Amino acid sequence: MADISLSALGKSFAGAPALHDITTTFKDGEFVALLGPSGCGKTTLLRLLAGFEMPTTGQISIGPREVAHVAGNRMVPPEDRNIGFVFQSYALWPHMNVRRNVSYPLEIRRFSKAEITAQTDQALQATGLTDYADRMPSELSGGQRQRVALARCLVSHPDAVLLDEPLANLDVALRASMQTVFTDFHKRTGATMVYVTHDQSEAMAMADRIAVMDKGRIQQFDTPQTLYERPRNRFVAEFVGRGTVVPMRGVEKSDSALHGHVLGTRIAVQSGDDLPSHVCLRPENLTISETGDLRAKVARVTYLGGKYLLETVADCGTRLLAETRARFDVGMQLGLTITTPWAFSEE
Amino acid sequence: MKTILTTTAFALMASTALADTITLYTSQPNADAQQTVDAFKAANPDTDVEWVRDGTTKLMARLRAEIEAGNPQPDVLLIADTVTLEGMAQDGLLTAYQSPEAANYDSALYSADGFYHSTKLITTGIVYNTGVETAPTSWNDLSDAALKGQVAMPSPLYSGAALIHLATLTGDDSLGWGYYEQLAANDARAQGGNGGTFKAVASGEKPYGMVVDFLAIRNKAEGSPVEFVFPTEGVSYVTEPVAIMSTAKNVEGAQKFVDFLLSAEGQDVVLEMGYIPARDGMGVPAGFPAREDIKLMDFDPATALKDAEANKAKFTELFGAE
Amino acid sequence: MGVLTKNGGSRSEGWLLSTILIVAISLTLAPVLRLFVEGVTDQGAVGLSLAGEVLRQPSTLSALKHSLVTAGFGTLVSVVLGSAFAFLVALTDLRAKAALVFCLMIPMMIPPQITALSWTQIMGPSSVLLKTLGLAPPLGSPQPLYSAQGIILLLGIQHMSIIFLTLRAGLRAIPQEVVEAARISGARGLRTWWQVVMPLTLPSLAAGTAITFVTALGNFGIPAMLGIPAGYATLPTLVYQKLAGMGTSVLAEVSILAMLIGAVAVTGILTQRFFQSRQRVYLVGATSRPLAIPLGAARLPVEVLLWAVVCTILVLPMFGLLATSLVPAYGVPLRLDTVTLQAWTEVLLRQPVTTRAFANSFGLAISAAVVLMLLCLPLAWLMERNPTRLSRLFDSLLDLPYALPGVVLSIAMILLLIKLPFTDATLYGTIWIIFLAYLARFFAVMFRPVQASLKQLDPAMGEAAQSVGASLFQRLRDVIVPLSAPAAAAGAILVFLTAFNELTVSALLWSSGTETLGVVIFNLDDSGETAMASALAMTIVLVVMALMVLVQLMSRRFPKGVVPWQT
Repeated sequence: MADISLSALGKSFAGAPALHDITTTFKDGEFVALLGPSGCGKTTLLRLLAGFEMPTTGQISIGPREVAHVAGNRMVPPEDRNIGFVFQSYALWPHMNVRRNVSYPLEIRRFSKAEITAQTDQALQATGLTDYADRMPSELSGGQRQRVALARCLVSHPDAVLLDEPLANLDVALRASMQTVFTDFHKRTGATMVYVTHDQSEAMAMADRIAVMDKGRIQQFDTPQTLYERPRNRFVAEFVGRGTVVPMRGVEKSDSALHGHVLGTRIAVQSGDDLPSHVCLRPENLTISETGDLRAKVARVTYLGGKYLLETVADCGTRLLAETRARFDVGMQLGLTITTPWAFSEE
Repeated sequence: MKTILTTTAFALMASTALADTITLYTSQPNADAQQTVDAFKAANPDTDVEWVRDGTTKLMARLRAEIEAGNPQPDVLLIADTVTLEGMAQDGLLTAYQSPEAANYDSALYSADGFYHSTKLITTGIVYNTGVETAPTSWNDLSDAALKGQVAMPSPLYSGAALIHLATLTGDDSLGWGYYEQLAANDARAQGGNGGTFKAVASGEKPYGMVVDFLAIRNKAEGSPVEFVFPTEGVSYVTEPVAIMSTAKNVEGAQKFVDFLLSAEGQDVVLEMGYIPARDGMGVPAGFPAREDIKLMDFDPATALKDAEANKAKFTELFGAE
Repeated sequence: MGVLTKNGGSRSEGWLLSTILIVAISLTLAPVLRLFVEGVTDQGAVGLSLAGEVLRQPSTLSALKHSLVTAGFGTLVSVVLGSAFAFLVALTDLRAKAALVFCLMIPMMIPPQITALSWTQIMGPSSVLLKTLGLAPPLGSPQPLYSAQGIILLLGIQHMSIIFLTLRAGLRAIPQEVVEAARISGARGLRTWWQVVMPLTLPSLAAGTAITFVTALGNFGIPAMLGIPAGYATLPTLVYQKLAGMGTSVLAEVSILAMLIGAVAVTGILTQRFFQSRQRVYLVGATSRPLAIPLGAARLPVEVLLWAVVCTILVLPMFGLLATSLVPAYGVPLRLDTVTLQAWTEVLLRQPVTTRAFANSFGLAISAAVVLMLLCLPLAWLMERNPTRLSRLFDSLLDLPYALPGVVLSIAMILLLIKLPFTDATLYGTIWIIFLAYLARFFAVMFRPVQASLKQLDPAMGEAAQSVGASLFQRLRDVIVPLSAPAAAAGAILVFLTAFNELTVSALLWSSGTETLGVVIFNLDDSGETAMASALAMTIVLVVMALMVLVQLMSRRFPKGVVPWQT
């Protein structure tokens, strides 16, 4: 169980940079999600942590141990890092049965036969696989295979566990139950977990903190609530949750509050900056009424099961998203009131 | 497996160094070589024989390559003709050995210094397929225009016997090089060794041929549709001499081998195989005329050796053989 | 200082890769390099005067002409036969395809000199078979196969399976949708085939033709058996005859000839590669069901015709061979009163050369298979993991010792090993020179299937083992080797089959005690002992067929693409 600290970490593939100058710390025992669109560098970062790739610049430390230091020409290979890795394709060895797949790390470490059996049984029980111990991977379902991969991580008591989009190949219904498995695993082992995903609802459901990444950089690294309620830039605001980012002019700060002009109306905003330039208008910031700060027309109605998502076009042309329980038709006019959205500064 | 291979390889190489094995290079046909070796081993049960068979020219090329590489394998040679061995003796590649058996041989049949001893009398005559309409009786018959494209003969570039045959016939006044020019004009085929020529005649592909006597006579006895003729002008002959290499590892065993071949017992085997034994007073195999009745054409080994390369070159020019 | 590789693969991987790569390069490419050096130097100094001299000799020019003629027309015959079979098997709904393909592959596995031997037994006035049936042509008629035409025919038959395999693979990659789209757009029948299917198959046809030409050029067994008796020399047989007749004094001269063959061959190989890469460009993306054009009423006649052809090229020559092996002397017709097993007992039981040859061939083939397996498995995996410039270069060149004609390789090996550096010893004339030549020649035969299977292997397999702490050796032993074992086994069997029968290389490298089976058959026939040669040849054919059946039975365990004739 250990901290993971990254310092000025960078990686280029054949001259093309995939990661720029990543400096951050994942705390001991934390469940961190790396979230971002494809190509943002999250998988690269994970593989650097595992040791499957070598960084171009910077350092990585796991606990007190420095596992990679480019300037000092030091690199600890994956087999010596004592981390667990869960692959998207599960990477179970097809020629070994479940028991052997799980016990292999212990075989490597030359435990006694009795010890191996004891630990393997424990791990199988923890993941609910005791009945499947003698089956071959080809006989298991996707969810079962993923649990075998987890059991394999359990036995080696790793300092950290890295997961590379492990649920991407499972169907939606299964994902929910597997998420529970992962969180249980986290609670049981207390290991530092780094979880790569492009699915924000997954990240929000499981992680203690999420690192939102784009174009090789960490855009914001905070708890899910903070990311949602207080995004620091346009990318995070648009990527996490629904909403529209609009510019804000004429910012004034008075004793307790900030005010600014948004879409032609003067409203109060919350912000962490003194001079924010944009606001994020989420559905919960917009109230539908007969009268309101803005007038808008309904362009599209989507039924979300119990409520409706309205895509509206304001008079000034901006598209805004609102949620309501009532039914509206396309083309109807309504009024929107903006209630204290979050504002941030962006160049 | 590699260990077994190593062991085998080393055993094969080492075996030549052991006193109880001799290595023989021979141009006799495979079955004959086997019979000779078997008879020798029966008479000398303590000695083992490793043997390799190939056409004279190819065998000599291989041997020379081995000598150049510094690793000659054989202890004894049993090759078609005295000309080749004379050449080797002059190059110092043979060891002299005066076999006690030599007393029973015509002095023309062994080297005075004892470098080589003849074991057989193999003549080259005319063989024809029994399906032909007119049987030839003389060498001149083969150069008849009517036989255009129907004659085959072994190449002196491949066969020691063929080289001697060439030297003999071109040295004869009634035949000479004109005879061969006639044959070439008649599209006579001169390829490979005696084996290939015999095959062509027996198969009927080339119904007429020049070939060594035992091949034709022996196979005829087995039922091959061929006849052998001793032409009226006479026959050329080779004597299949045996010689001991100067680089022999097992000289004693080699000498035993020579003695056996020249002994009455060894010559009996020759008779059995269907060759004329070189030893005096041995008689001839079935199907042969009596020894006195066989007319041998004149032949001088020294001249033949001197002219060997020139003869081969001229032959190549005439027949375009490689 | 250790090698820091691009991936987190440890330094040990990089080090191991370099070591094995050096061994592999010395084995496979050093001979070729040595040959090249020999050809461009003249007694130590760089000079092309000897080369010019040799190339101007009439024997060289005529042999070159003969080689090009026989290889060219032989390829044409292969293309006609092979593509006919390929189109019919890959595109239509013929029945019993698997059996047909298997029988078609057998001639490919039978060594060329046995093919030549068996065909000569069914033709010409000599044919025991024809004589027994009373159909023999009259006396004096030439053996029709001892001619350029004979060589062309047999080369064509021997190599038609190469065209068949290459073209069939290309055809199978064409999806049904392509033809359906054409039909929806209005194209009909032959037009569809000509304008849609043909253009898509041309690259694979071109690639197959190129490699067939190269193989035909380098073939030794067929021109040796059929051409030498007729005085018709091709470049490989010219090399053989010079070396056999005059020994190593003509080594320099013969090297020039070998390089000449090599140059023509390399042109062919490059052509093949060019067309193969074009093929990949054409057919990118997933394919669904392959084409299956129904033949309708024509199906039965077509099947009959195909099987008749298979019988002619496979069964008939075997009967000829069998017949000849059972007569007591050449030219005797086979009747109940003449039939004898004399040739069989003599050659198999009495002649020590046969036992030696069996031991040699078997030992060489097994050792080569095992050593190559030990080399190629880790090498292929490491090259896949860490593609360095050197390993990529090696990858593009390692087919050379196999694609180049065998005589070229043999000459190269002699040059390399006739005098070992720093010692007076030589490997020429020992079994080791043949062993090393086999390692060089069959490297690609083992490497390619193993490489293909490893490419299909998920890299996560090895990484997962790494992440749980397995060292390089443990990863190889517990994960990589078991998962690629089937491909390695298939490669080993292919190497064994090819090495067991091989003639071309050993024809120039053998010496007393190191004869191989191919050499023995050739020598027996050369010295007129055709009955014995036939008996031995039949034995080999039976062994080959038994091994092929074995491979077929186990083929389900092998990953795709490893068994060449898999349907």
